[in-house]
Amino acid sequence: MTPRANASGNGSGRTEHYRDKWKWDQVTWGSHAVDCYPGGCPFRVYVRDGKIVREEQSGTLPVIQQGVPDMNPMGCQKGSCWGYQHTGPDRVTTPLKRVGERGEGKFEPVSWDEALGDIADAMLDACEDQGPESIITLMTPEVGAAPSRSHLGVLGSPLTDGNAEFQDFSPGYYTTWGKFNPVSTMDDWFLAELTLIWHCNPVYTNIQWFHFTLESRYNGGEVITIAPDYSPSSIHSDYHFPVRIGTDAALALAMCKTIIDEKLYNKKFVHEQTDLPMLVRTDTGRFLRGPEVNAGDRDDQFFWWDVKAQQAVPAPRGTLALGDVSPALEGTFKVRLVDGTDVEVQPVFQRLLKVLEDYTPEKAAKVCNIDAEAIRMIARKAATKRTKIFSGWNSGKYYHGDLMERAMALLLGLTANWGKQGTGTRSWSIFGFDGFAFLSAKGKPGQEAAREFQKQMISMRRMLSQDDPTMTLEMVLNRFQEMGGARVGGMGGMIPPAFLWYHQYGYKERWNKKEWSDQSMKRTFDEYYQEAMDKGWWDEFMAKTWEKTEPRVLFEAGGNVLRRHRGGQNTLLKELWPKLKMIVSVDFRINTTGLHSDYILPAAQHYEKLGQSMPSPHHLNFVFIDKAVEPPGDAKSDREIGQMLVKAIETRARERGIKESKGQNGASIVIEGAFDRATLNGYYENEEVEFDEALKDMSAYGILPPGASLEKLREIGTMRTQAWGIAGFGIAQASTIEPDKTHNPFRWHTEDKVPYPTLTRRAQFYIDHDWFIEAGEELPVHKENPNHGGDGEFRLTSGHPRWSVHSMNLTNNVIQNTHRGEPFIFMNDKDAAAKGIENGEPVTVHNEVGTMEIAAKLSPTVSPGQVILYNGFEPYQHKRWFSQSDVEPGMVKWLHMAGGYGHLTYRPWHWQPIPVDRAVAVEIDKVSA
Amino acid sequence: MTTNGKTAKGKQLAWVFDLNKCIGCQTCSVACKVLWKEGEAGTEHMWWMTVNTKPGKGTPKDWETMGGGYKDGKVQLGKVPTNEEFGGGWDYNYDEVLHGGKGRDVHLQKTAGSKDWGPNWDEDEGGGVWPNAYYFYLPRLCNHCTDAPCLEACPTGALRKDEEFGLVLRNEDDCTGQQQCSAACPYKKIYFNEARGVSQQCIGCFPRIEKGVAPACVRQCPGRAVFIGYIDDETSLVHKFVNEWKVAVPLHGEYNTKPNVFYVPPLAPAPLAADGSINEAGDRIPPEYLESLFGPDVHTALGNIKEEIAKKRRGESSEAMDALILYEWKDALGPFDRDPAEITWQ
Repeated sequence: MTPRANASGNGSGRTEHYRDKWKWDQVTWGSHAVDCYPGGCPFRVYVRDGKIVREEQSGTLPVIQQGVPDMNPMGCQKGSCWGYQHTGPDRVTTPLKRVGERGEGKFEPVSWDEALGDIADAMLDACEDQGPESIITLMTPEVGAAPSRSHLGVLGSPLTDGNAEFQDFSPGYYTTWGKFNPVSTMDDWFLAELTLIWHCNPVYTNIQWFHFTLESRYNGGEVITIAPDYSPSSIHSDYHFPVRIGTDAALALAMCKTIIDEKLYNKKFVHEQTDLPMLVRTDTGRFLRGPEVNAGDRDDQFFWWDVKAQQAVPAPRGTLALGDVSPALEGTFKVRLVDGTDVEVQPVFQRLLKVLEDYTPEKAAKVCNIDAEAIRMIARKAATKRTKIFSGWNSGKYYHGDLMERAMALLLGLTANWGKQGTGTRSWSIFGFDGFAFLSAKGKPGQEAAREFQKQMISMRRMLSQDDPTMTLEMVLNRFQEMGGARVGGMGGMIPPAFLWYHQYGYKERWNKKEWSDQSMKRTFDEYYQEAMDKGWWDEFMAKTWEKTEPRVLFEAGGNVLRRHRGGQNTLLKELWPKLKMIVSVDFRINTTGLHSDYILPAAQHYEKLGQSMPSPHHLNFVFIDKAVEPPGDAKSDREIGQMLVKAIETRARERGIKESKGQNGASIVIEGAFDRATLNGYYENEEVEFDEALKDMSAYGILPPGASLEKLREIGTMRTQAWGIAGFGIAQASTIEPDKTHNPFRWHTEDKVPYPTLTRRAQFYIDHDWFIEAGEELPVHKENPNHGGDGEFRLTSGHPRWSVHSMNLTNNVIQNTHRGEPFIFMNDKDAAAKGIENGEPVTVHNEVGTMEIAAKLSPTVSPGQVILYNGFEPYQHKRWFSQSDVEPGMVKWLHMAGGYGHLTYRPWHWQPIPVDRAVAVEIDKVSA
Repeated sequence: MTTNGKTAKGKQLAWVFDLNKCIGCQTCSVACKVLWKEGEAGTEHMWWMTVNTKPGKGTPKDWETMGGGYKDGKVQLGKVPTNEEFGGGWDYNYDEVLHGGKGRDVHLQKTAGSKDWGPNWDEDEGGGVWPNAYYFYLPRLCNHCTDAPCLEACPTGALRKDEEFGLVLRNEDDCTGQQQCSAACPYKKIYFNEARGVSQQCIGCFPRIEKGVAPACVRQCPGRAVFIGYIDDETSLVHKFVNEWKVAVPLHGEYNTKPNVFYVPPLAPAPLAADGSINEAGDRIPPEYLESLFGPDVHTALGNIKEEIAKKRRGESSEAMDALILYEWKDALGPFDRDPAEITWQ
């Protein structure tokens, strides 16, 4: 076997061909401005002869903490062929105007002037007809699309809340901590001694950083997966717990029961960090409150029973520190009220003991199909190891997901597993985009103006907390954001859209279906709805507006509502679409929503404009995206589209003699001069000038190190953030960013004893809101999942796919070849055999909501009775274009309309009713020939 | 030889894939596809780098039954896989759906490529019986075998063993497309380009290697699951994994080709007993199944991995685990750790 030739390479002519194929003449920094969360992957984009040829992870991130692995090479398969979508078959490069029926897919190219003039007119018509409230703009996940929504500030029309649109909320975490966004850095996961992968499938969804968990295992840690199916993430675990669908709360509570019975809980942590020592009246089930004990005291003053003094003492609102008090956890005590009567009180912990009697491992085993001894084993491990729960946004999409999350948080609370490295859980947070957020708010160019603006914000902070000096910075910011929800007296802000859906999208009937709802509900959905309205819990957030205001314009930028919206086309096309005079899709591609729109406006792709990836605490980096190539044809960056639309609105308003946009609440915005105000008289019209200014401001605000600028980022690509800023939810992390340590949230609470932003100012497991008491959910319990969808014998679970960020990459031909290249649904092999269904054969998935057809993919990893449809497939990939969301009823849990209670109130991205889509009842049938 | 300022002592490159860190994300295969094949006619079905779920038929479908390799010192000519068996190469009726004006009467469907197979068709299906299903991911590329049967079988001498890196490379100008190489390759990693009438396979990213940059499948692996280096360099990690710590084994060594791709074999969660309790002593993946893939040495390797993890759990040190943890990513790249963006082409 002697080599025939000695020249290196692959043979004469072809050798150079391969060498040339790898060459480039330009390389720029790139990443992906989309909510694949956490994103943040630094790439380099290689260009040859003016065309993107490929991209590759930069691999340039440093080790942060000695002894902890670095984050390289962050990226995934989607990001590694993103460039192909720049030239994909669904790319749009010119404005398209509908010429056939909606959904027919007949369009003709038009000029930007014609398109924007028409859209501006439709928006002004809507303002005149119904008010700006009738222009509905959807908050969707593609961060890069946000600038095209500039009309919001000009007309004061509402933006629907992102977490209602795409359900990445964790209601149970929020209930507990007053925030749902604890996020440690990816490298902190290496420091866990036990990782419970629970309601998450990181092998699909956290490709760029799941290695830290596997590396923690090689470092002596243990990994346990808890999921109904033997999920792809299970394969790399030490134990897999195949929990019955929707019974996770029972499992977590049985773990809590074991930990308490075996005295493995951390008393100091429980005393200090949680509401478990707080006193509850046994007669009413309500917390003992200030005015009941001392006349004139605050209603949000709560009490402990001090074992030393043998009396109820107020729990300090300004600190978590116990001081000299030794709070009782168990027992029943008497307290003399201000009116002279005595009442019996118990610590929450005592009441928890009572609840947990129903959750012995043996009892729970029957509910969740997990062996009782296995439950004890995992409980003991969690109590004795630095434990993290690797969760995503799966739990929150169950009807009773809030109960699951509250039980999971209780497990962490009992075992002191948050607020130190290697512990905690995860959800969603973005932060620190202040430089971009306040460009026009700071009034004039330059960093002096930025520093002046920052000073104003600090003084506003003092003003906002005047009535209560114990308010923490985090609480003040929350209050500020609550106001942001109803900006300019209710105009241009974010709204919780459930109320819009209820009246205008056709959900009223569904949400009132008793058999699809919590079976323990004592009244109809409508009755709860009416009570919430009567009590005005949602008044500030425009809930009542939709009783009479019909939507006229729908503006979808970078999203795909007809794929995404739980409840699907059967409600949207039937109920919403006929009311709309104008539907706009701003996107770089034609998606199903685009096919049903009146205009498709062609947006630049990610490497065709300046941008940044999602600023997440997961990586703590500012990740720069440069403009590698010009957008093709007539496509424009979304910021340019936004600016052009603002100009068009101004022009048409002037021509039509419309001076201002008037909100239904009496507020108004002057339209004239909108463009100048948004761009500081044109100063920001240039993309590079604006971006550079934002970066320099980021240094001025202290979020990025000194010296940030467009030039600097073009050189180094990423910068590690050093402070949270106030735009976004960084302060909710409640930990100081340290340059040489992994970030773990909540250390201000655990180390500095700073209170939590909840009603009781502790991690709150007891919710004494009337409705919670009525529901029997004042403490976390397990409730069976309702049969939403009907009485089908299968339960449809779901999750983000491996192959696509939502529906964005499913038409990428490279990616299509890495799966079946067509939509599929996973099904247990024996279930399929019983129905005579072969692997790859089309099946009908149907229930009382709708019907769809899809290919079956058979596997013993799927639990019997379960079907899994990883979401994202485009409706137009299915026969008659009906897809997953068309069999999802889109129910909301009635309890989430509760308000008027401490932290149970709306602020953007937080507490509100969000639709559920897990464990939907469906029937599966072979498609008959 | 100098790459990126480092002197490397070996002549044979080897890859080590850690199956306990591979998450089947396909970034390696996509990176390879985009770099070498996209946009070239005749390469639609070509995925020189693939990742499949095992147990499973993989790509080409049922490749392990197709024959090839050496038996008693003689090259075995097995089946030449068809493009249909490799699978994929799909195109779709985009124009009809997006621009045809037919609305819901048409939906997106395949118009070209394999009918019922793909490069990753049986992804995440696996084997076993609920609740003790099992599977793992198996990344595969050309093994750049030391005793490469493709090379011997080639009637035109188009294949050769590169002296500098030990890669099996093809002079595509000399290839006449007779596919004897493909018949002889027991791993079935040689593809046929019908448009050009030549066979093609992994080129070991030689244009990158010769510039001191690791192959795309290695450098782009977000799971940090693959290492490259000279197997005959005793200081290299790949040498240590295979020969010193004995935690990595070849795939189908019984094909007798001395492959240069090695695998850290897969652990799996403890199975459940019939009563639902955890069977700590049991094996979720049948040991005989692993032996059928990786040979009897797989048991030693798994034993070594478990022992090294146990050391870590006891708070002791483990060189092997520290190496697999990969505290600094660049260590996976061996002597090929140059940042490609630094290169300026003349």
